[in-house]
Amino acid sequence: MIIGRTRIELEPRLNSPRWLVLAVPLASVFLALSVGGIFLMLNGHSPVQTYSKLLSSGYTTFYGITDTLGLATPLICTGLAAAFAFRMNLFNIGEEGQMYLGMIGGAWAGIALADHLPALVAVPVVLAIGALTGGLWVLVPAVLRAKLGTSEIVSTLLLNYVALNLVNYFIFGSRGFFRDPSTSFPQGRAVSANARLGNFGTTNTYPTLVIAALLAIVLWWFIRNSNYGYETSVYADSPNTARYAGMNATRLTISVLLVSGALAGLGGAMYVVGPAGKVDPGLLQIGLGYAGIVVASLARYNFVAVVITAILFAGLRIGGAALQISSNPVPIAIAVVLQGSVLLFALGGEIFRRNRIRIRRTQPVVFSTKADA
Amino acid sequence: MNSNVWVLTFADGISIATTLILASLGAIITERSGVINLGIEGMLLMGAVTAFLVGDGTHNIWLALFLAVLVGMAMATVHAVLTITLRSNQIVSGLALVIFGTGLSQFIGKSVEGKPRPVRIEPIDFGALSDIPIIGPVVFNHDPITYLTWVGALIASWYLFRTRPGLVLRATGDAPATVDAQGVSVAAVRYAHTIAGGALVGLAGGWFMLARGTAWSQAATTNGIGWIALALVVFAAWRPLRAIIGAVLFGFTLQVPYTLQGQQIRIFPPEILQMLPYLATLAVLVVLSTPRARRLLGAPTMLGQPFVRDER
Amino acid sequence: MTNASPEAAQGSHRVSGAALFALSARRVTKRFPGILANDRVDFDLAVGEVHTLLGENGAGKSTLASVLCGLYKPDEGAVLRNGTQVRLTSPRHGLLNGIAMVHQHFRLVDRFTVAENVVLGHRRLPFLLRASELESQVAEMAERFGLPIDPRATVGELSAGQRQRVEIVKALYQGAEILLLDEPTALLAPPEVEKLFETVRAMTATGKSVVFVSHKLGEVVDISDRITVMRDGRVTGSVKRGEADTRQLAELMVGRDINLARRLSRSAKGEPLLALDNVTLHRHGSDIVKKISLNVCAGEIVGVAGVSGNGQRELAELVTGLQVPSSGSITIREVSINGIGARQVRANGLAYVPEDRLGTGLAPSLTIVDNLVLTRTRGFFVNRRAAQVEAEDFITQLEIKTPSALTQTRKLSGGNAQKVLLAREIFSKGDQSRIIVVCSPTRGLDVGAVETVHKLLDEARSAGKAVLLISEDLDEVLTLADRILVLYRGEVVHEVNGISVDVEAVGHAMAGLS
Repeated sequence: MIIGRTRIELEPRLNSPRWLVLAVPLASVFLALSVGGIFLMLNGHSPVQTYSKLLSSGYTTFYGITDTLGLATPLICTGLAAAFAFRMNLFNIGEEGQMYLGMIGGAWAGIALADHLPALVAVPVVLAIGALTGGLWVLVPAVLRAKLGTSEIVSTLLLNYVALNLVNYFIFGSRGFFRDPSTSFPQGRAVSANARLGNFGTTNTYPTLVIAALLAIVLWWFIRNSNYGYETSVYADSPNTARYAGMNATRLTISVLLVSGALAGLGGAMYVVGPAGKVDPGLLQIGLGYAGIVVASLARYNFVAVVITAILFAGLRIGGAALQISSNPVPIAIAVVLQGSVLLFALGGEIFRRNRIRIRRTQPVVFSTKADA
Repeated sequence: MNSNVWVLTFADGISIATTLILASLGAIITERSGVINLGIEGMLLMGAVTAFLVGDGTHNIWLALFLAVLVGMAMATVHAVLTITLRSNQIVSGLALVIFGTGLSQFIGKSVEGKPRPVRIEPIDFGALSDIPIIGPVVFNHDPITYLTWVGALIASWYLFRTRPGLVLRATGDAPATVDAQGVSVAAVRYAHTIAGGALVGLAGGWFMLARGTAWSQAATTNGIGWIALALVVFAAWRPLRAIIGAVLFGFTLQVPYTLQGQQIRIFPPEILQMLPYLATLAVLVVLSTPRARRLLGAPTMLGQPFVRDER
Repeated sequence: MTNASPEAAQGSHRVSGAALFALSARRVTKRFPGILANDRVDFDLAVGEVHTLLGENGAGKSTLASVLCGLYKPDEGAVLRNGTQVRLTSPRHGLLNGIAMVHQHFRLVDRFTVAENVVLGHRRLPFLLRASELESQVAEMAERFGLPIDPRATVGELSAGQRQRVEIVKALYQGAEILLLDEPTALLAPPEVEKLFETVRAMTATGKSVVFVSHKLGEVVDISDRITVMRDGRVTGSVKRGEADTRQLAELMVGRDINLARRLSRSAKGEPLLALDNVTLHRHGSDIVKKISLNVCAGEIVGVAGVSGNGQRELAELVTGLQVPSSGSITIREVSINGIGARQVRANGLAYVPEDRLGTGLAPSLTIVDNLVLTRTRGFFVNRRAAQVEAEDFITQLEIKTPSALTQTRKLSGGNAQKVLLAREIFSKGDQSRIIVVCSPTRGLDVGAVETVHKLLDEARSAGKAVLLISEDLDEVLTLADRILVLYRGEVVHEVNGISVDVEAVGHAMAGLS
């Protein structure tokens, strides 16, 4: 980039200094809060007061924390799903739809199978079937991408909307299997009690949180130590090297996307096992699938960091909800604004982590044109 | 007025197609330069809320639309800076814009939540012309922006395929290194067309609010129409004229469920029908993915890739 | 009259006569980190002349051409256009002065038509484009220069020769008077080469001047009015048509003292471990590798010499299982490995050190330990502990300069990365690699690292391994190889015993004369 005589160059860094790795996310948060603060002020709210209420509601009160952890549970799953795929440059945007399908699949298992299974087995089966369903939902885009090179971005996105309409159909558009037969009010049929896990005390946190967190650790360990994880790491780093080592790109592509879909589906199934207990169209309003992508990006696709980031983001949402009903109501949307801003700033900050800025002065250029003979 | 319900549905489809055409034209222009901007849904919402608020305050339609355009350009500029100069991941940047735009539009729209639309973009009164059977409601019942949009698509097509800057634009998306070797700034072409695309998307959102919206409501304003527009770009193989055809088709399929419900026809559940545009696009995607088709009809070759010149 | 004798072309400061040259270089010097690419080079191109810059890889001819067209700026010396000095700041600027370079890898938009590609970027293109007008313009111009092309064809569907023609027409359309063609026949099949020469003759007949940058002496000797030979950054000679024969030219190109410290085998070789029988690879309508037969025995180094771009990479990928031959068979210890895949080939005892260290041989962001496991068989879980011990062993033994075994490989210098790569491929547990394929192993390395690498290869040979060394560095091949084969246009054109090698004959073969 040249401005006048000054040339601003980006020089790739060999070493990312440690302080920068933390500084960029922190700076992003700070800048995002500033931007949010401007909008708050324009709307007549005090940024300082708003933020302190936001943070305290989400992170300091008992019910705030437990609500946050509860919301974080499916978000961890979608975050893991996004991280798993994105680190391989496979952009699965369909976590939202895969999560819905996981909810549907898990609910099906909870209604049709759970009563016939011993109590210990029922919940794992529901979760497994939810994961399976989520994986199936990404199968077509995965194969298209691996075999034909079709962009998985558009294909997974389209299926989000098909999935959304599917849920709406099951609850609002029909009186079928997933509908509660006991009332004409459109709501989902409850799954067997076998397939539910009780919440902790009177909070909104369920044991599924523990499962999700453990899953993150298991995934982290698996990617680091298994042959499969190793191959995905090589492929993510340098596809040429993977080819040289005889790795099968098609197999890797499809399997990574399937796992990603399964993780998102698991999130939906956890929603059934935990708070919902049925197919719940309310899940469609929160946007956890898209939020998972944000979480994964901020966590720079590190699975353990996804857990932390998911909890932080869930806290923002819970805090925002509290703000909405407080004495000086602030639209819950501020949480979403902050989410988006943090990501935008973090994206911009990435370049400073990868490159160093150099400012050079260029010499004035003198050249002769075609001279007369 | 002709009472044939299907004709009216078709006419309605053409009306809603305006948003689709504008948004997808914006996306086509941007993507032709090699930049993919997934933030359209967020930009539509911001355009809509801006038009609503300005319309509420000034009751001036043109000012409302103008500011919606500016807002769209501003958001597109953020994306451009992030992806072109700072070389960030274009997918994530676009998604961040959607989230940001969704949140911000809800936030600033809170004060007018539930309020009915302040001004309306009226269809042009063609008098007797609109009474002609079939053609009347379909052709002679729309507002000026809709007609301009169709003209705009023609202009876009002409720009892309019959002008010098259009040639350079197409080359930038396919082979930026070649364009760079000719001494043209790839970054400049990308900036210009990303921001121009943003202007069209902002307009699409503003028009939608003032022509078809009933009230500002955070939950159900654009309803994913931005994503349909992105799919439409692929369906149209990045060609403006095909985008018109696709938009009308999609628009029609979007209206059909309402008509069926109104007519008490229940062959297919409305939700299933609403899946059709998406499933149809998916099918087209597959067809367009064969290598030959992809090369000749498909995406700009370097779409989504940042351009970095090898320095000597 | 123009003073075109070899002495005048080589080093004279006299600028007399320069005014009659369309393009000249005077004492042009260009340095890159660690390399003196051009050392006080003088060069003259007369109007209407076909002048070839002849030399092997690294001779400096491409660098000189890049300086002449404005892609590089010389560190010292000057470029003159019609006798006046010009300081070219960019290729665009070069074009303004009527100088255009056609690169080996074309810069075309596949999706566009020929006409669209030709006119793209031309400053004086009108705002409104009418396809038919453009097409007839382009067709007419192409006719005028004797390069018939179909302006309506889609470039993506054209052959390499036709695309090159489009590139040439494009340069001419934009006003080029001087064309620099970089290895123009590299991607062409023989009949297309003929066509190219016809084109060149047609152009010079209309007053254009052409510079051929090439190593293919056999091809260019008839078309050139003058040939300037370069080696190691310097001009070694410049002759007019008919003044020197091919042997003399080959010597100017390749001639060197054979007082290299040669490392030759001290023991008898064993039996053939790797054998190729009439192997051909057919791609994009031509044979990239043509009927190659060779074998490598245990305890021997077979060197494949040749200028890069003559099928070396494809040969390596065929042998290592990354590509499948169109015909012919490849066997390891008499067992066919056609089409069994790279992983299986490795399991059969073959190791591969590719030319591209960090982009292919190693995963740059992964640690040394992680890279060590790359080509080993791995179970369900990756055993890093054993690999770490091995890595630390290598680091000590080979004196690899790295903070630790857990450093990312992209932080290593070229030489150290190469040591890691070689260590992994040459030394492995359980006698796993008996055959080693190495490609240009010392490219870009300093003298010390080169020493180490050669020592490692020598030791591998002594340990009874069969080594196939494919290198564009002739010195390296001469130093190490027990037998030498020369690859030209995908074929083995020369085979000689390492002990009594006639370097001139080798150079001859590398240049396409046999």
